[in-house]
Amino acid sequence: MSGLNDRMAAKREVKRIKNLPTVPGIVAKISRLVENPETSAAEVGRLITQDQVLSAKVLRMANSAFFGMSRKISSIAQALMILGFDVVKGLVLTSSVFDMIQKSMAGLWEHSIGCAAASGAVAAALGRDDAEEILVAGLLHDLGKVVLALNMPEEMGLIKAKVEKEDLFFYEAETAILDYHHGEIGQWLAEHWNLPESLAEPMRLHHHPERAVVYPEATAIVHVADVIIRGWGFGYAGDPLVPPVSMAAWDLLGLKVTDFPAILDMLEPKLSNLAELTQAGSVE
Amino acid sequence: MKRISIEHAQPGQILAQKLTRSDGVLLAGQGAEVTEGLLRMLARMNIDSLVIEEEIKLSPEELEEICRNRVASLQVRFVRVEKLPVTAALKAALIGKARRERDEALAAMVPEAEKGGEQCPA
Repeated sequence: MSGLNDRMAAKREVKRIKNLPTVPGIVAKISRLVENPETSAAEVGRLITQDQVLSAKVLRMANSAFFGMSRKISSIAQALMILGFDVVKGLVLTSSVFDMIQKSMAGLWEHSIGCAAASGAVAAALGRDDAEEILVAGLLHDLGKVVLALNMPEEMGLIKAKVEKEDLFFYEAETAILDYHHGEIGQWLAEHWNLPESLAEPMRLHHHPERAVVYPEATAIVHVADVIIRGWGFGYAGDPLVPPVSMAAWDLLGLKVTDFPAILDMLEPKLSNLAELTQAGSVE
Repeated sequence: MKRISIEHAQPGQILAQKLTRSDGVLLAGQGAEVTEGLLRMLARMNIDSLVIEEEIKLSPEELEEICRNRVASLQVRFVRVEKLPVTAALKAALIGKARRERDEALAAMVPEAEKGGEQCPA
């Protein structure tokens, strides 16, 4: 029995080391900068503005209807001030992985921004003031699937076949075949890339939000948002079925089922502006 | 898309092709909205037609069918969670939204038919 466990652990480790994409250079630099408590927002702003294309992408995203800012954000420095460090870092990351997400799986980019929009809508319905940060966590929650699609194509094929044949949720098929799922892959990626826990925990636990300890509410919001956007039928996340809502996460947030119509109404205009954010992310 | 003469152009229509002056200078891009100002400018320049996006008009039967298909796909997506209270409520809210949008589209049709030129003979 322990032999089997050892083999599995070994397999995990190999996958973990061999198959993770390298961190986008700019994200690594920002992470290093941020680790230093002496770093000022101006220094981070200077680093981002060295890359003109990236700066333009980040500003376009910050100004998209997605964030619904009442005034125009015209510089990276202003974005850092208004949106905060983590959000801007998330946008830099999103710009950097945009092509990767688009290439990985048809419909996953749409699912990702749909989940981001739904995360923002749920956070707003709860009256939270960190809606932008949670929105970015929603945007990146399925990065583990991107790694799976791009770096483990053989396993991906097996998982897709199993989903279709047995009507499983994607994460169930992943667990059956790999003994782990995209949440854990996302966690490895987050460690490898030195992402903040506010992004890493929702990436790891959006299917098990009751296990979250550092950011249980953000994780619960991304979890509920994932269910909402699958229910809406926007994008494709690897299987066509709506998963259950964790009651622990639901109770933690204090949402009521009567909140759904208002959340759906908030979501509608954001989803119809999908093209705007997609254009913002792509190189013109 | 269809080409219409400038007399038939109305503010609010969407350009399906960019408008350029004879020397190639761009006047309005594809996707731009037709405005009173743009129409006056075109009249001054003796531009007599433009290409606009056609409004998609659906019949009540088509609206009904779209709504039916939306509800049917919701039934399929929610099959594993339809008995759980939270997801059942989400499904109900999405079905409600599909029906409301159908009803709004149907309601918007009535004045359109009334002002339309083709009256049924009594």
